[in-house]
Amino acid sequence: MVTDQAAGATDVELTLAARGGSSSRWTPWLFRIGSVGLVLLIWELYGRAQDTTLFFVPFTSVVTALWELVQTTEFWDAFRQTFIPFIWGWLLSLVVGIFLGLLIGRFPAFDALTKPYVTFLNALPISTLVPIAVILFGIGYPSRILIVFLFGVIEVTLNTAAGVRYVNRDLVEMGESFNGTQWRLFRKVILPASVPGIMAGVRIGTGRAVVGMVVVEILLVAVGMGRLILRYRGRFQSAELYAVVLALILFGILLQVLARRIELRASRWKSEMEQVA
Amino acid sequence: MIEIREIGRQFNTRDGGTFEALKDVSFSVKDKEFFSIIGPSGCGKTTLLKMVAGLVRPTSGQIVIDGSPVSGPGNDRAMVFQHFVLLPWADILTNVGFGLEMRGLSRRESREAARPFLDRVGLTGFAEHYPHELSGGMQQRVGLARALAVSPDILLMDEPFGALDAQTRQLMQEDLMRIWDVEQKTVIFVTHSMDEAAYLSDRVLVMDTHPGKVREVLDVPLPRPRDEAVRTTPVFNELTSHMWHELRGMIGDPTAPAPE
Repeated sequence: MVTDQAAGATDVELTLAARGGSSSRWTPWLFRIGSVGLVLLIWELYGRAQDTTLFFVPFTSVVTALWELVQTTEFWDAFRQTFIPFIWGWLLSLVVGIFLGLLIGRFPAFDALTKPYVTFLNALPISTLVPIAVILFGIGYPSRILIVFLFGVIEVTLNTAAGVRYVNRDLVEMGESFNGTQWRLFRKVILPASVPGIMAGVRIGTGRAVVGMVVVEILLVAVGMGRLILRYRGRFQSAELYAVVLALILFGILLQVLARRIELRASRWKSEMEQVA
Repeated sequence: MIEIREIGRQFNTRDGGTFEALKDVSFSVKDKEFFSIIGPSGCGKTTLLKMVAGLVRPTSGQIVIDGSPVSGPGNDRAMVFQHFVLLPWADILTNVGFGLEMRGLSRRESREAARPFLDRVGLTGFAEHYPHELSGGMQQRVGLARALAVSPDILLMDEPFGALDAQTRQLMQEDLMRIWDVEQKTVIFVTHSMDEAAYLSDRVLVMDTHPGKVREVLDVPLPRPRDEAVRTTPVFNELTSHMWHELRGMIGDPTAPAPE
């Protein structure tokens, strides 16, 4: 009897604990959804209160326009024209950025050698390079790829270099004590230990590359999504204009979520270690 | 034989002066000997051990192992670290095989070769666990297995049980004794526990501080194999109280620099 009661009490406690755990896990999501919902509601109401749909349109109209837009081949052609140079520039920025970052983080001499250029690119709004890229490479894929690349590469480089530079000294010393080659030390200790830094660079660099993609579309003579934006703006088709922008935002968010996922996955050992510590 | 010959180590301080961490340290460790170094914090005992490991260079003097001077890490030595220093992203078996991997074996080969050492330290079922899933004592068993796996002649242990609680510490000491009885390796064991030094060692070097130097080398005339009972023998108590007498004058000095 006594044991039954005890068991019962434990069950209740377990249930309560589980409920407490799940509610605290979902709380931030409730706030996020609530926050976004509130803004969308204000948008909707404000849009409906307008006399004309020329400048500001309700959120639901934008969603409808987007829904119609994604059913046209024109939208997907535009998307592809924007997307292909983005992918190339983005991947290039990751590959080059990680490579440079590893060298900079590992070799102080290489750091000193590249510092002026890294500092220069980091201080410069990359948008100012767009006209130069156009003069040099025209308005085709090469300039587009270059701009996306330049937007992304610095963050990837700097974060990777920081990741390498701040690898735990004790780990390196432990690796050295086992008397391997410098290359093995790099591959088996320094590189895996730098993964969290590298992945942070990938995430931030991805966000920057998306910005680069949009800048290219707005500042260059537009062929992809930018052309749609210019056209709808010219025709005062505000719902469609907003819909294109919304599509770009959604694309950016999607990539961010993806990059964040990869980052968390690759850095899992780090967060688990910190939880223990 | 390991010969420590007139080792000195100086650091440049921020105000432009020099700080002498070690001065004229000379002693030698025999083959298969369990040799402990004990001393107050900041006496340079860890630095000395890292010099034998080839990780730190002395400013003066020389360390000679079996006739050849130490110029860096070597395959004849392996180190066990105070804070374990396991690879957090790798599972236990990979961690134990890490030293072998550093010496050129493939991941698969080194994992295979690591297995018996995992058994030897009593972690048979934990091959696929990750370091953060293990207690401190278990993590240090991994650290010990990793060092043993490269089959070193010399085991260098830097306060290996210093970060563990008292009970775990005692268990680890007993296990280390058992393993050492079988392995027959030269061990240099840095500690700040007099009890630990007396229980484990053949000889104990007591170090002085400011600067770090040899105060005396004590023989431990306790028969082997040893068990818990030796801790209550008069010889053991005499030894530890002698060490305490030697050390108490050195600690509690408010002008002492921060521990290493």
